Amino acid sequence: MSAKSYYDLDLSKTISKNRLIGLWRMMKGYHWLYLGATAALAIATISRTGIYLTLQRFIDNVILEGNYGRDLTIVILSFIGFALLQGVFSFISGWMSAKTAEGATRRLRNYLFDHLQRLPYAYHAESQTGDLISRATSDVDAVNRFYSEQAIGIGRILLMFIVNFIALLQLNTRLAWISVIGIPAIVAVSIFFFSRVSKAYEEYQEQEATLSNRLQENLTGVRVVKAFARQGYESYKFDQENWQKFRLGKKLLSIHSLFWPVSDIICGAQMLASFFIGAVMALNGDITVGTYMAFTALVIWIIWPMRNLGRLIVQTSTGMVSSSRVMEILKQEREPLTIGDYQPDGDVEGEIIFNDVCFEYEKDNPVLNDISFTCNPGDVIALLGSTGSGKTSLVNLLPRFYDPDDGVITLDGVDMTRYQRQYLRSQIGIVEQEPFLFSRSIKDNITYGVHREVSDEEIIQAAKFAAIHDVILEFPKGYDTLVGERGVTLSGGQKQRVAIARALLKNPRILILDDSTSSVDPETEVQIRGALDHLMTSRTTFIIAHRIQSVMDANLVLVFDKGEIVQKGTHEELMKQSGMYREIFDIQTRIEVELEKEIASVNI
Amino acid sequence: MSTYETLDEKEYGKLTNKVFTRLLSLLKPHWKWVAGFLVCIAVVSIADAYTTFLSKRIIDEGIIAGSREIIIRTVLIYASIILIQAASAFGFIYLAGVLAERVRYDLRKRMFNHLQELSLSYFSQMPVGWIMARLGSDTEKLSDLLTWGILDITWAIINIVTAAIFMFIINARLAVIVIIMLPILIVIAFRFRLRILKHYRRSRKMNSKITGAFNEGITGVRVIKALSREDSNLEEFGELTDGMYDASFKAAWLSALFLPTVQVISSIGLGIVLWRGGLQVQYGLMTIGGIQAFVSYITFIMWPIQDMARVYAQMQNAIASAERIFNLIDTEPAVKNRARTVDTDTIEGDIRFENVHFSYEEDDPVIKDMNFQIKHGEMVALVGPTGGGKTTIVNLLCRFYEPTQGKIYLNGIDYQDMKLQDIQSRIGMVLQTPHLFSGSIKENIRYGKLNATDEDVIEAAKLAGANDFIIKFEKGYEQDVGEGGNLLSVGQKQLISIARAILAKPELFIMDEATSSVDTLTEALIQHGMERLMEHRTSFVIAHRLSTIKRADKILVIEDGQILEMGTHRELIHKKGKYYSLYTQQFRQELEAQYDVFNKPAASEVA
Repeated sequence: MSAKSYYDLDLSKTISKNRLIGLWRMMKGYHWLYLGATAALAIATISRTGIYLTLQRFIDNVILEGNYGRDLTIVILSFIGFALLQGVFSFISGWMSAKTAEGATRRLRNYLFDHLQRLPYAYHAESQTGDLISRATSDVDAVNRFYSEQAIGIGRILLMFIVNFIALLQLNTRLAWISVIGIPAIVAVSIFFFSRVSKAYEEYQEQEATLSNRLQENLTGVRVVKAFARQGYESYKFDQENWQKFRLGKKLLSIHSLFWPVSDIICGAQMLASFFIGAVMALNGDITVGTYMAFTALVIWIIWPMRNLGRLIVQTSTGMVSSSRVMEILKQEREPLTIGDYQPDGDVEGEIIFNDVCFEYEKDNPVLNDISFTCNPGDVIALLGSTGSGKTSLVNLLPRFYDPDDGVITLDGVDMTRYQRQYLRSQIGIVEQEPFLFSRSIKDNITYGVHREVSDEEIIQAAKFAAIHDVILEFPKGYDTLVGERGVTLSGGQKQRVAIARALLKNPRILILDDSTSSVDPETEVQIRGALDHLMTSRTTFIIAHRIQSVMDANLVLVFDKGEIVQKGTHEELMKQSGMYREIFDIQTRIEVELEKEIASVNI
Repeated sequence: MSTYETLDEKEYGKLTNKVFTRLLSLLKPHWKWVAGFLVCIAVVSIADAYTTFLSKRIIDEGIIAGSREIIIRTVLIYASIILIQAASAFGFIYLAGVLAERVRYDLRKRMFNHLQELSLSYFSQMPVGWIMARLGSDTEKLSDLLTWGILDITWAIINIVTAAIFMFIINARLAVIVIIMLPILIVIAFRFRLRILKHYRRSRKMNSKITGAFNEGITGVRVIKALSREDSNLEEFGELTDGMYDASFKAAWLSALFLPTVQVISSIGLGIVLWRGGLQVQYGLMTIGGIQAFVSYITFIMWPIQDMARVYAQMQNAIASAERIFNLIDTEPAVKNRARTVDTDTIEGDIRFENVHFSYEEDDPVIKDMNFQIKHGEMVALVGPTGGGKTTIVNLLCRFYEPTQGKIYLNGIDYQDMKLQDIQSRIGMVLQTPHLFSGSIKENIRYGKLNATDEDVIEAAKLAGANDFIIKFEKGYEQDVGEGGNLLSVGQKQLISIARAILAKPELFIMDEATSSVDTLTEALIQHGMERLMEHRTSFVIAHRLSTIKRADKILVIEDGQILEMGTHRELIHKKGKYYSLYTQQFRQELEAQYDVFNKPAASEVA
């Protein structure tokens, strides 16, 4: 299935300064359905009003006139008919609006997910993970509620008002106007109250977060708590926050417990006033008894729903804030994966030339300065230097996570920027020091990103080469063992070897690897070493080097300092020069001498 | 690790007698509140039915009988009912709402306090998130059931019953029609609700999977890009959103079908009532106002039915929550004081492990027949590979766990005869990844001795070598450390946790050295702080640094739960065994790090 079918609309085109217009455009493809939902809602509302108007006829024509017989049958049938209409259409309306809301939300989720993974790496490097996730989840949920509850809910209340008000006008103009006098007050009180509530609710929610942080700290620090025997103190601290939450909850409740009775009284007063005036008019013969009865029923449907309007309006505003938070992500430009005019047949050779390459993350703060070197196909390039000296930035340029600000990088003699990113990345394998593994089975992690069917034998073969096979077999479910929260936790070295197996299966022409194997026992270290050697065979390899051995075998060593190459050459060449490189190398010999001395000193 | 998977939660619970009594016991201390809101809701509910009856009187005795006085009088009664109802509404919202908060507070407090009693083994089995859900969503569900649930059910039942009574008063034969209709409506409503809830829960599950997918998609974006996984990821994600769509769309349209179904059925009933009632009017058996009242009663009967169905569906979930909560509260701590304990005011003295065995699960021993003796004031270094049992030894020593076999003697006394508090309050501990609590630096140091003065705190910080970096903060000792101390570097956290231990003046000091490298200067400060702590007291160090190991009076090489080698540095080097190879490897690594010309200690983390 092609990626496009998960969303048939480029949502970045729906952005509008007016958030309501944006939300409307985001519904594209569902517009008629949503309008249909509104129309069905209108029919349902009219039908309900019809029920009460039938009631009027029932009283006036049937009972008071004494026309039992055909009239009675007609009235009863139309009564049930209206009820059926109302039921059917309110279901249709609910069905249509649910389809719209869920459909539009599904598309938004799919689009957002895809959008996020296609945004440039630079965007992710600068964004907070938690913030992006909350926009993609809770803000999207808020947008969903806008479609499914709020917009349609406001529509329902307004329709009810309009339809019933028109019906009231038909019954009696004076009565109709009298019945709506109190409505502005009801709406105003409702809006005022719900905006107060939403503030109190926020406070309450914040306290909830504080409380669960406190709990979490207690649980994760359980050994400290026990070691200092601070159980009592912890209980005391927790109780304070717990009590504070109780107090805030009480405050929230107080507002609620005031609003509902107050609105009860306002609505009740309006209703009763209408009843009274209606009754007096009926008594005076200004209106019929049937009219009075229809009137009392309709009035209820006008007045009481109005007090929910405030809630919906206040919630709508949070829905709109959420929509603009989502829009901020949609606004970002994607990284074009398939733009590029050069596409070789088959794989690249792997000749890479850096020509005066400069790069900076932010203006006037270069992290790479005038980098030039040549790397022949199959060469091993070792990058040496302190943290922040530019090694990682340099390798980030190869898969075009970033493009140079100045200078040119060529691959097989062609400017890198002419290759499609997707193609380029298919030619490059990366093994990081502690690679990210996904919470799926180990098998899936090994085959992740290998775009073809892989047999189990192949996977096991790769795992054996990567010296991880035996480790995997020790897990209860072997290759099907889940990684991460719900499964096993792998050590840094084990993760690295999974990534090596993955790279072996991917079989790229160019390899980027971080050869750090910190904190593994010597045996494992030898295994990893072997796995890496196997991996590097006949590939152009860039090593971020932490050990002298990888450097010694390299075809070219680049020594970095503050974004510049300070020394460059083979091990033999560099050993002949005085400089950083020789200093590092000398240390190795010095260590062995010191070790011998140390042991000897103990032996005395 | 497989425990986590078996922790998948039961969704529905049964209301057994036992659970029921226990639920009531939660409300018992607040029975006045319960009685209060029940009375209020009963008033509201009865008033609802009564106002409809009043409307009937306005028509029959007012309009049709032509009496203005009766209209006025009835409207006045109506008005006072509205006022009473409003007052009762205030009462039940406040009482039930505050009680719900109170029950939550009680439950959280009880669980939290109980958690403090539970042993470490409980926490190693239960994921933090699992425990947090007990104090979070489960508590919410249970307290809602105990307050709003009971309230809604009461309202619904009284509402239906009073409406029925009024209908019987108005016209018994017509009322029977309605009574026949009721069970049908109730069954339909309950079935709908359960199905809606099922889909709703499915959509919640899908939603958390979607969140998980976003989390991975964002944190793993580099790998995804490097491996060009975008298309297949979207495909997988599409399956999740399809599932989500399916579940929430079903839940939504079932809800949309639910009320209309109930309404249509009740309208048919109403049609019959109107037809029969209309015919009865001509014989004077029924009044117009009576018809009006029946219309109202039947139209609004769907609300109590809907509420009953909702509470019924939620109840099953809430009972499952209650069972989990009770389960937590009922868990006995694995380690607790014995019935008879010896009072001790010190644990100073020799420490002896005698044939100590330990296992978390049967047939999977973690510590096997361990024997050793440590003299008072000695410093012991535990070395060996990860997973060999070093941490377990320390946990046994602190009596976080107790030996499954064998004995541990502190100062000649079997430590299981002592009080836990007596042992643990005399231990100072510095962990590998130091755990700090949100709050200021001062509060964190003071954790070691709650009644310490500011001077004591500063003194301890100075001894730990932490004072220098602390006073460089804008707010000094009042500086906030952030959630879990994440505003500080690892080295700084370590220094603070050392200061905390110094302040506690422990009789036994335990340290788990950090493996992660901190800069040389901080390292020196930490070493210095440790030395301070180890002066004149017995100490156990899970050691990674050579300097620490070499200083030890006794080195225990631990592997596979056994002591492989034991002795001083010199003795063990001579032996040329396991220790020798560990040592030489570590020596090379440390020097490599030390001589790393790139990462000169110039940019010190601490300074």
